[in-house]
Amino acid sequence: MAATMAKFPLLGYFGGKKQLQKRRDFSIAAQQSQVQESQEKAEEERESVRTEKVLGTGGTPLRPVEKQVNVESKNMGREYGGDWLSSATRHVRIYAAYIDPETCAFDQTQMDKLTIILDPTNEFVWTSESCNKVYSYFQELVDHYEGAPLTEYTLRLIGSDIEHYIRKLLYDGEIKYNMDARVLNFSMGKPRMMFNNNDIQPQDVQQS
Amino acid sequence: MQGRLSAWLVKHGLVHRSLGFDYQGIETLQIKPEDWHSIAVILYVYGYNYLRSQCAYDVAPGGLLASVYHLTRIEYGIDQPEEVCIKVFASRRNPRIPSVFWVWKSADFQERESYDMLGILYDNHPRLKRILMPESWIGWPLRKDYIAPNFYEIQDAH
Repeated sequence: MAATMAKFPLLGYFGGKKQLQKRRDFSIAAQQSQVQESQEKAEEERESVRTEKVLGTGGTPLRPVEKQVNVESKNMGREYGGDWLSSATRHVRIYAAYIDPETCAFDQTQMDKLTIILDPTNEFVWTSESCNKVYSYFQELVDHYEGAPLTEYTLRLIGSDIEHYIRKLLYDGEIKYNMDARVLNFSMGKPRMMFNNNDIQPQDVQQS
Repeated sequence: MQGRLSAWLVKHGLVHRSLGFDYQGIETLQIKPEDWHSIAVILYVYGYNYLRSQCAYDVAPGGLLASVYHLTRIEYGIDQPEEVCIKVFASRRNPRIPSVFWVWKSADFQERESYDMLGILYDNHPRLKRILMPESWIGWPLRKDYIAPNFYEIQDAH
């Protein structure tokens, strides 16, 4: 593969969240899903501003791709190999393509961009802060792997590191399992009390 | 202690080293990589027309890589065919061994697997590329100094 990873701008969104929530809430009311959609839109608007916010917390500043209009699926056919460069694990999917957040159009001609789809099966409860942490870590990793060949191996290294990071977030109690998930098999370990070991004060030691 | 094939090779002045016999009494010979192609042709002409198995292993940490060939002489009306085991050792720095694909065609996938797992380069192999691992994989998984990347795949799901 001749292409090497440049300083990628990145693109992140809940790929499955909207669809799944809509599907799950479909029987309740259409209004509710609309409310959620507007919340999502607000979140997305915040995403465009989030660069400064994340700078304050000390993470790698995000460089999100600006939103594109009229994205069409390109280079998906058999004549282009019928395959795409990706790393797909349960909670992290990374594609070397631009994917439209609304229509899910998959533009493979834009291989200078990486798209992460975070937790498509919606196993965890995400807040925008925890999402931004993951995105910021993703940006950090992409910067770290700058110059590496753009192959599945590199993408898988990045995706695995993000999975380990998500596991760490879970063990630190920053995200938690979504009990309404469709598949409830606790793929990162059974839920436990007292997740966050950093906050536990050694009380016995102080008393004695 | 010398086997039949070793005596025959000595008679024809072919360089080899006898490594004794394995537990089934099959003669084992070591042959240098630079001699291997010509001796393979000679063995085929001698009558070893069947490559029963080809495999490779890492001898020791930091040591040599070995490519092993089990040859059998298949003939009509014989219930105890002649067998021989050939070992070819190559240095870890530059593991080049001539391919026997053009002698025994069944070496094709076996040598590709040895290349994939241990990085032994078989000269004159027609399509030497990875067969089990993804083509973008880095490193040789069955070498003793291989460190597995910390990929996320262990699922402790319930």
